[in-house]
Amino acid sequence: MHELLAVVVNALLAAGLYATMSYGLAVIYGVMRIINLAHAGILMLGAYVTLTLYDRFGLDPFLSLVLVAPLFFAIGFVLQRLLVRRLPSGGATPSMESLLLLFGLWLVLQNLAYAVWGGDTQSILTPYTMRAVDLAGVRVGVPNLLVFVAGAVCLLLLQLVVKRTNLGRAMRAVTQNRDAARLCGVDADRISAQAFGMGTALAAVAGGLLSTLYAFTPDFGRSFLLKAFCIIVLAGMESVVGVAVGAFVLAFLENALGAFTRVPTSFQDAVSFTLLVVALVVFPQGLPHAFRRVTPRRPALR
Amino acid sequence: MIGRHPRRRLVAAIAAALLLLLAPRVLARGMLNDIWSVAFAVVLASAWNLLGGLAGQVSIGYSAFLGIGAYTTALLALRGVEPYATLPLAALLGAAFSFVVGLPTFRLRGPYFTIATIGVGEAVRVFASGVSFTGGSSGIRMPPASFDFALNYTSMVVLAVAVVTLAAWLRGSPFGAALAAIRQDIDAAEALGINATRYKLAVHALSAALVAAAGSLFAINFQYISPGSVFDFRLSLSIVLMPIVGGVGTVAGPVWGAIVFSYLQIKMLSVPALRDSYLFLYGTLLILVMLFEPKGLLGLGKRLLRALRRPARVANGA
Repeated sequence: MHELLAVVVNALLAAGLYATMSYGLAVIYGVMRIINLAHAGILMLGAYVTLTLYDRFGLDPFLSLVLVAPLFFAIGFVLQRLLVRRLPSGGATPSMESLLLLFGLWLVLQNLAYAVWGGDTQSILTPYTMRAVDLAGVRVGVPNLLVFVAGAVCLLLLQLVVKRTNLGRAMRAVTQNRDAARLCGVDADRISAQAFGMGTALAAVAGGLLSTLYAFTPDFGRSFLLKAFCIIVLAGMESVVGVAVGAFVLAFLENALGAFTRVPTSFQDAVSFTLLVVALVVFPQGLPHAFRRVTPRRPALR
Repeated sequence: MIGRHPRRRLVAAIAAALLLLLAPRVLARGMLNDIWSVAFAVVLASAWNLLGGLAGQVSIGYSAFLGIGAYTTALLALRGVEPYATLPLAALLGAAFSFVVGLPTFRLRGPYFTIATIGVGEAVRVFASGVSFTGGSSGIRMPPASFDFALNYTSMVVLAVAVVTLAAWLRGSPFGAALAAIRQDIDAAEALGINATRYKLAVHALSAALVAAAGSLFAINFQYISPGSVFDFRLSLSIVLMPIVGGVGTVAGPVWGAIVFSYLQIKMLSVPALRDSYLFLYGTLLILVMLFEPKGLLGLGKRLLRALRRPARVANGA
């Protein structure tokens, strides 16, 4: 019983982080119908920028998020203007071109990290990295707890932006029907750039959070991209809550695998993929449909 | 157009194959090694193109098949089986695994399929590093038998020629037409009575078998394999990049892509400054191709040819 509780608590803590990184992917998908493969590269870059801020300026990784988020929002905004916008888009399903373009971007980012920071494994060691506290009778690492809090704050802020601001309303409108939104005077192009910036910022924040928990190299991020993809396939992408639930399911299964079976922990990264395959076999029609449910196909109004 | 003269093309292909097979009598070993690498790349690129180009299902998990081929050969050779005799079995296992991959993931379309295949590659690598019968992450060494480069060279060249010929033939066959229909509009294809899943599975199995065979020859040539070498993500990556940079969906495109890539790779390995920037090069190439010439080098070449031949008309058309 205590073991189960430990698994649940740990899964809950991990879910905050998973949801943050998945929502970045979901925002970009929703507004632009693009699967952002560069997400993994941004996660990695977020971790390195956090590391640099910590090493050079002694800035606490969690405080530096306040700098990382706007910085990467700007980077995402510019990337969308420079690269992504030049591809044909607006279809009901994402195009292969955008996927491969962003794949290329991911590779460039990886190489950038190799050039700037080298290929060595890096990690951030803060005074509280090794500390642990009791939470409902379960020993929990302080960084894990802080990561959860930061993730939860991010998601709450995001929820506020999406539900309460004009930007959020415009984003939801473009997500539901791009053409109708444009007819109502929404500048879909600008909203796309802002959404891309937002998704990039979320990815970088998630990367910064990851850097306090894991060691990383420029190759880092691929398994987290798969996790994020698995979560949004499972949970759909309509709501922050749905993504959070999907994140919890994945985190729970990963933790349970470690706690209740003899499967080595190195197999943990395969859980997300296995879950994806199982879901696909069990609900053959359900999942691609879940992707397309967001908007029905409409003829372009031009 | 070259494509309108199948006979002339066939003659050219046979001539090229004969030249390559006779090359060991003339060329030095270093040069032959380079040709081997090019042939290896041609097999991977052309085999990937069957699924990725003809049927339009872009997979970034092909290192799985390469690795399965390589491990089949290495593990059997360790138990005393003649390495070349394991080739058919390696191909068969590759095809069998392609069903395991394809049955769930072909339910996904387009980019979703692509991401799922990244997962396949990761899962297989994690598995191969984690279990003990593969030797774990430290890999396995083939038994120190007499190693015959000439035989390996010939096999790889024959395989490369066979794959390209097969691709050319498939492209013009009814089977290829069905694949093209699936690529263009899968719903329309199914409405016409094409069982898209069955076609996708069939061409996936074919291309996986070819890649596994190449993996088998890879293991024989290098005598040592590990999850880091044959299941590497970068390998999956270059398998995708070669046909896309060359010209996806064509017969000649992957071949050109493979030649350019292997040349770059060989050059880069000899220049330390470039060795560390290959990802940058790959990524930039991919971005440039996607932004400016989605038909790859082949499309670029055709455009240049057309511009040279009919300068006046291009000026008017533009």
